[in-house]
Amino acid sequence: QGAQVAFGGLKHDSSLPVEIAADQLKIDQNTGLATFTGNVLIGQGTLRLGAGSVVVEYTTQGGDVQNMRASGGVTFSNGAEAAEAQSAVYAPGSGQMVLSGEVVLTQGNNALAGERLVINLSDGTGTMEGRVRTIFQTGNN
Amino acid sequence: AQQSATLIADQVQVAPGEVLIASGHVEMLHDGIRVKATSVRYDGQTGDLQIIGPLTIVSEDGTILTAQAADLSSDFKNGVLRSARLVLDERLQMAAAEIHRVDGRYTQLYKTVASTCEVCASNPVPLWRIRATRIIHDEEERQLYFENARFELGGVPIIWLPRLRLPDPTLERAAGFLSPEIRSTDALGFGIKLPYFIPIGDHKDLTLTPYVSTDNSRTLEARYRQAFASGDIEINAAASSDDIRPGDLRTYLFAEGYFNIQRDYTLTFDIETVSDTGYLLDYDYSDKDRLDSEIAITRTKRDEHAYAGVVAYRSLRSSESNETAPTVVADLVWDKRFRPRLLGGNGGIRLAAHSHYRRSNFAYDGTDDDSIVDGRDITRYEAQAFWRRDWIMAGGLVLDLEGRIDLDYSRIDQDADYDTPVSRATPQAAVTLSYPLSKTTRRANHVITPIAQLVWAEDTGTDLPNDESTLIELDEGNLFSFSRYASNDQIERGLRANLGVQWTRFGNDGSETGLTLGRIIRSEDLGQFAGYPGLEGESSDWLAALRYEAPGNFSLINRALFDDSFELSMNELRLDWEAERLDIGASYIWMEASPLENLDTDVSELTLDSAWQFKDNWTASLDMRYDFVADRAASAELGLAYANECIEIDVSVSRRFTSSTSVEPTTDFGLSVSLVGFGGGADGNSRKRSHCAQAGG
Amino acid sequence: CGFTPVHAPGGAGEAVRGQFLVAPPRDREQFSFSNRVEDKIGRNEAAPLALAYRIATRADSVAITADQEIQRYNLEGFVEYEVIDRASEEVLSSGTVRNFTSYSATGTTVATLAAERDAYGRLMVILADQLVTRLYASAGSFGVERAEGEGA
Repeated sequence: QGAQVAFGGLKHDSSLPVEIAADQLKIDQNTGLATFTGNVLIGQGTLRLGAGSVVVEYTTQGGDVQNMRASGGVTFSNGAEAAEAQSAVYAPGSGQMVLSGEVVLTQGNNALAGERLVINLSDGTGTMEGRVRTIFQTGNN
Repeated sequence: AQQSATLIADQVQVAPGEVLIASGHVEMLHDGIRVKATSVRYDGQTGDLQIIGPLTIVSEDGTILTAQAADLSSDFKNGVLRSARLVLDERLQMAAAEIHRVDGRYTQLYKTVASTCEVCASNPVPLWRIRATRIIHDEEERQLYFENARFELGGVPIIWLPRLRLPDPTLERAAGFLSPEIRSTDALGFGIKLPYFIPIGDHKDLTLTPYVSTDNSRTLEARYRQAFASGDIEINAAASSDDIRPGDLRTYLFAEGYFNIQRDYTLTFDIETVSDTGYLLDYDYSDKDRLDSEIAITRTKRDEHAYAGVVAYRSLRSSESNETAPTVVADLVWDKRFRPRLLGGNGGIRLAAHSHYRRSNFAYDGTDDDSIVDGRDITRYEAQAFWRRDWIMAGGLVLDLEGRIDLDYSRIDQDADYDTPVSRATPQAAVTLSYPLSKTTRRANHVITPIAQLVWAEDTGTDLPNDESTLIELDEGNLFSFSRYASNDQIERGLRANLGVQWTRFGNDGSETGLTLGRIIRSEDLGQFAGYPGLEGESSDWLAALRYEAPGNFSLINRALFDDSFELSMNELRLDWEAERLDIGASYIWMEASPLENLDTDVSELTLDSAWQFKDNWTASLDMRYDFVADRAASAELGLAYANECIEIDVSVSRRFTSSTSVEPTTDFGLSVSLVGFGGGADGNSRKRSHCAQAGG
Repeated sequence: CGFTPVHAPGGAGEAVRGQFLVAPPRDREQFSFSNRVEDKIGRNEAAPLALAYRIATRADSVAITADQEIQRYNLEGFVEYEVIDRASEEVLSSGTVRNFTSYSATGTTVATLAAERDAYGRLMVILADQLVTRLYASAGSFGVERAEGEGA
């Protein structure tokens, strides 16, 4: 794919430790799900994910994060790129994050809006779907 | 300045290196330009757009660019499109292997074919097209520059031009060649006219038309137009050298102008000169047989009309000499109306001066064709006052009283039969009874008005020589009036009754039928109208005027003068009909010979102007004049025109059967081909488009 | 035979006479035309209705001798008119009246000029009379009955 210079922003090492901060935490013993509610902020390296509430599912054995389901208005940022959506699902294992519901991605001075954004954090690519509206600056070169 | 473009697509991939790959119904909008494509790759760093087609680019002014693929800058100003087609103003289509956009102003098309014709699947070869190795479209100048252009008609190459410049369809006043016209006439042989239009600023333009023909006639025609804040002028002129008058430079000049000068006065002038009598007819510039140059100042407002003008004549008639015909006519008129508070009704004053001048000073009738004194010049000063009032009587009868006094003072020079000066005072009076009645039936609404008018003027009085009132008409416009004479130099005398009835039927179907019947009965024949078939004797001929109008622009009007034994002295018929595809204007005139009016033989002539759109794009036209007395056509013109969205072809053949000392019978053949779609000329697409065969579609 | 006087009380005449302010003339033809119309239906500065008109004329040569001398002209005239309610500026009725007169051109130049000018004058008289007759016939569309019908 050649040098991913400027746009490496979406590229991310999802093996880094995940910290989650929230107003409340509720853990459900039998399903093994942890539900964080109230100003939830997930950090992993330079990646930040804010949400109204996040439900985290751990892998059965090692206690690693299987996936995280964020909802209630999600904000995602990773260096120069930032995105908002109604909800998001992040599976660190696969390095894939899916934002959906009125997704807006700003990238430098370009902005994309669509229904669903699938980001592959390992190779830094993303695909926006739904009737995607993009605003990009012209004449800057 | 930073400008933004919006992109809409079903899916946008965000790839590293600020690359966006949009796919699925991609639409981009920037600065009024809209791009539609299958997929677009946008490189954020270089700002380049790689577009996979089929793509269309539509700009605000209606220009449409389509292509299979394209590489464009993000502001669409620069770039290359492959196997593309450019459409200007939805009319001019140019297909090209490659199109280069440069700085958002120039579009260069390589290996291109241009045409404004509808190209259909059924017949891919358009009626005409221009192939060129390169076309440059300059959006700012709105010009098209062709290089190595080959014009093909129906696929057959006709002309090859290294360089060709044509205005693009949106340019209104573009300098350049207008459509050529091929013309072949007996007199001038086979020739071609190539008009060139030169706009000068926003308010002036000049059109020069060289016309060269085989009988070595060389002509330059010119038309100059200028618009001023308060008026405009137009000058048409031409100069020719030909075999008809070898060694002579034949010229004509027609200049006319109209100006609003202050306080509601308007100045108009109309200058007409020609070098020799046959020139206008030989070159079909005008069929006037007398040139009347006029300069006049007029002002008209409520209750007041003023006119001051001079008309200079030059007769081109072989039967008339400019020495003995009046060649300068000057008139001054001031008409004022008022409504006297006490007397009621309304009145008016008219002050006028008239003068006409003949070059000859010979006080008798010389050797020219007419029997009028050769050198007579007349100047006449008139003062007229009138008052009229009408009353509605019991039962709806209308009584109208009118009194009038004419004072005139005339000088008659160079006429041995009349001493000069002559002054006259002529009181006249009229009483009119009219009884308008109406009736509404199931199918129509009728209005019928019997009218009886008694007019009095003294039986005798000094008479002036009759120069102005030798041509006399009787119709509904002067049946109820003081005089049938055209001017005030002659006065209709004696006691007479003008009787008539006017009936109009307004049909509920929208038709209107009108009939006027009338007659003049004199208490005594004073012989004033002896020699005028319709008016002589104690009672005039019957005047009968029939009018029938039907919805859909159909109008038939016939006016006749006939005596008690139905002997016609005049009959005029006019038929006008504008149907959806047929347009007819026909007029027939029959007049009994009237030597006093220089009418030695009866006149019986039919004039026809007709056009018939027999198919969507085809129009045939027939204009004809048939002289029943000479029992042959006086002139005939047959025309055929084909017009569609991209071409207009007019073919016409006309024959004039004149025979006079200065004008020969002649047959003209005309062909004009004009490419529609260049320059803001006739709006091609409002014309019937030759649509493709509907098979499959 | 069913005919009633136009100017009898309640007739169409009342809906027309004195009910119009004719538009001011701007040229010689309009001067003759508007004077003739006003001679027939009067002028009333405070009239409820206005009569607007546009006049077009066209001369066609209809008889030409073998040696190309024009003997006779037909003079066609068209008047497009509108009856306008001066208060609401609503166009109550409109239409076109057309007719033609003729004049000979076989006399001298000055005789033809006088005949031409007289023909224009006669044409305006004919068109004005035709229009006034049509106003009487179409009085229902703008006359007193209309006002009463709506006024009540």
